[in-house]
Amino acid sequence: QQNGKPHFYEKPIVESFEEAPLHVMVFTYMGYGIGTLFGYLRDFLRNSGIEKCNAAVEREEQKDFVPLYQNFENFYTRNIYMRIRDNWNRPICSAPGPLFDVMERVSDDYNWTFRFTGRIIKDVINMGSYNFLGLAVRYDESMRTVKDVLEEYGVGVASTRHEMGTLNKHKELEDLVAQFLNVEAAMVFGMGFATNSMNIPALVGKGCLILSDELNHASLVLGARLSGATIRIFKHNNMQSLEKLLRDAVIYGQPRTRRAWKKILIMVEGVYSMEGSIVNLPQIVALKKKYKAYLYIDEAHSIGSVGPTGRGVVEFFGMDPQDVDVFMGTFTKSFGASGGYIAGRKDLVDYLRVHSHSAVYATSMSPPIAEQIIRSMKFIMGLDGTTQGLKRVRQLAKNTRYFRQRLNEMGFIIYGNEESPVVPLLLYMPGKVAAFARHLLNRKIGVVVVGFPATPLAEARARFCVSAAHTREMLDTVLEALDEMGDLLHLKYSRNKKSARPELYDETSFELDD
Amino acid sequence: MFVTVISQAPAYHLILEGILILWIIRLLFSKTYKLQERSDLTVKEKEELIEEWQPEPLVPPISKDHPALNYNIVSGPPSHSIVVNGKECINFASFNFLGLLDNPRVKAAALASLKKYGVGTCGPRGFYGTFDVHLDLEDRLAKFMKTEEAIIYSYGFATIASAIPAYSKRGDIVFVDRAACFAIQKGLQASRSNIKLFEHNDMADLERLLKEQEIEDQKNPRKARVTRRFIVVEGLYMNTGTICPLPELKLHFEASQVSGLSSLLVLRFCKPAAGTELQTVSCCSWADTEVVLGKPLLTTFSSVLESQPHFVCLFKDTLFN
Repeated sequence: QQNGKPHFYEKPIVESFEEAPLHVMVFTYMGYGIGTLFGYLRDFLRNSGIEKCNAAVEREEQKDFVPLYQNFENFYTRNIYMRIRDNWNRPICSAPGPLFDVMERVSDDYNWTFRFTGRIIKDVINMGSYNFLGLAVRYDESMRTVKDVLEEYGVGVASTRHEMGTLNKHKELEDLVAQFLNVEAAMVFGMGFATNSMNIPALVGKGCLILSDELNHASLVLGARLSGATIRIFKHNNMQSLEKLLRDAVIYGQPRTRRAWKKILIMVEGVYSMEGSIVNLPQIVALKKKYKAYLYIDEAHSIGSVGPTGRGVVEFFGMDPQDVDVFMGTFTKSFGASGGYIAGRKDLVDYLRVHSHSAVYATSMSPPIAEQIIRSMKFIMGLDGTTQGLKRVRQLAKNTRYFRQRLNEMGFIIYGNEESPVVPLLLYMPGKVAAFARHLLNRKIGVVVVGFPATPLAEARARFCVSAAHTREMLDTVLEALDEMGDLLHLKYSRNKKSARPELYDETSFELDD
Repeated sequence: MFVTVISQAPAYHLILEGILILWIIRLLFSKTYKLQERSDLTVKEKEELIEEWQPEPLVPPISKDHPALNYNIVSGPPSHSIVVNGKECINFASFNFLGLLDNPRVKAAALASLKKYGVGTCGPRGFYGTFDVHLDLEDRLAKFMKTEEAIIYSYGFATIASAIPAYSKRGDIVFVDRAACFAIQKGLQASRSNIKLFEHNDMADLERLLKEQEIEDQKNPRKARVTRRFIVVEGLYMNTGTICPLPELKLHFEASQVSGLSSLLVLRFCKPAAGTELQTVSCCSWADTEVVLGKPLLTTFSSVLESQPHFVCLFKDTLFN
């Protein structure tokens, strides 16, 4: 919105979090129960020496030390996760583009150790990496500038921002980020996770209140805990819950002393990575203005992937960037590099330059990476002279809509907003989780499955990340495979299947008109 | 008999008793009242409170000539000489001990991996973010540090700030040097354990603290059996530049084992360039230290995927968890 005037989002927001049928939940809990029973049995066998123990054992001289891991803490890891461990940490040996090469590995002792066979599974379709705009590819001529910067500046900057670590590349990058987001200033950091955990303590402290969404990422939670402020949690994307908390906070003040809060900070994410939902920004901004709170929005997944020109949720809803106080985001996902940024008004960014823990103690971003971000951002904004960037953003939106629509038609339970490129498909049962991932790898499709503790116990899911670099053929291959998987594993639980012929919704009779 | 008592009593007595009983009944059933009236806030009062409340500004104002706002802009590679604000200076400021940031072999390797893998990893380690170069680097690091296995992280600060809470939880005891760097302090804060500081590089002070802990343990042996104890020291302290006296520490380690003190596990944060000297100077092997965390001062040998990787070398048993 170059003229700065907001136009409010007119289309209805369609988000669905369908509940599974009862028998599915019963079987899921039964599955975990049986796994637990067997776990106890195996632990007993291992402790009594009948079975060989492959797990961590203390060294001889430390036998009488207090054990490093209490037995029950990793009961789940040892007994349930261990059985299906081969679906995670799969090593790859090519760039994480739309097709990649996975190294084949087998296990001789039921996943306790792995061994590489030396073979590589080539051209696996990548539905797992956060490669929304397809910018993480092998070197091609457009990455020439990155090569030049690597040769000129070396590989790293061994110093912090306050000392000798600010390069002119960083300054250029910060100006570009501010221009991209349409804000006054920005500051970049070396790692996305660390951006949150080191800057939230600089903004809020004791005597402040943080209202954070139920499903916020671990980096936001860690930053909030390290800051020392009081944390209250509101239900996911639920504006009534948030409003109630805000009212109580403003009226009654701090818990025991009844003094007024110094500041109230609302922390939300743009697109939630495990649910695929998009934050309800217009209503949050309205609440924030009424109760005079500050808004911190973490656009790790939404920057570059959501919005008509890829500028994130603020543009998606057509709102004014001045309404959000602190923009935070990472460059890992859509820009194909690493690092994070915080942007907003100039006085905010100046304060962070002086007081952020990262600026004082941690090394700054490496120059080739900064150059890669500059290159990708210019590509998306169209400053390199082509419209390729815009085309990719549009392609991502088209792919997302197509993928979600087809999955809905097939009858899977999909969470999240219709427009979000993160698509979680619910699997529920732990056995199906493993079977799903392994079968799809056999068909040369790489997916990511997530279970407890990243998701609630009964809601294990497979999470697809649609990319602009996926062609229609790749998506169709994946959809066919998913269709067969769904029939094989009985995954099509949805009771709200949409028809494949939406033009027939308004028809009152199916007679042919003569 | 009761009736006869009543009929024999004088009339005024009966009337007085009757009045007293009625008065008691009235008192029992009347509403109690408190001295200070308290009632819930009305809706109008709540709205007024909301209107009146003014938060502090999000950030306090900073003066324009704070030194951190006027950065020294570096415009060249940080090797032995560095170009700051346009002038070329001798570089005594970057942590470039072995001078490998500018090494042509390193650059060539980085370029080769840039050509093969591109720049970013697009995902965490668990979800297709593990490359064969990561595994290769971990093997080499483990061999270099003579331990069984190693794990790498992508940001130095985050390495130790996440490794400490992974081992030490609430209720455990950590003995840490007073001059430990900020990353260690943040890690300890996140772990919520009990922290006991000993004077910088002072082994006698550490011994005193350990003895005090032993006395405490004897008071409550059941609790002592489940609390873990850690000592955190740095190989080369970032704040003071001194080296930690590892042989004496090792002596304490063994001595306290003999005297029946419970487990001690040592985390060490060191810079391997200095660390190799450390090894020869103090003549003790890494086998005695459980966990070694280190910070190589250059990117990985064969990729430019991370700018400042840091690593944790462990014995195989502890690595898995």
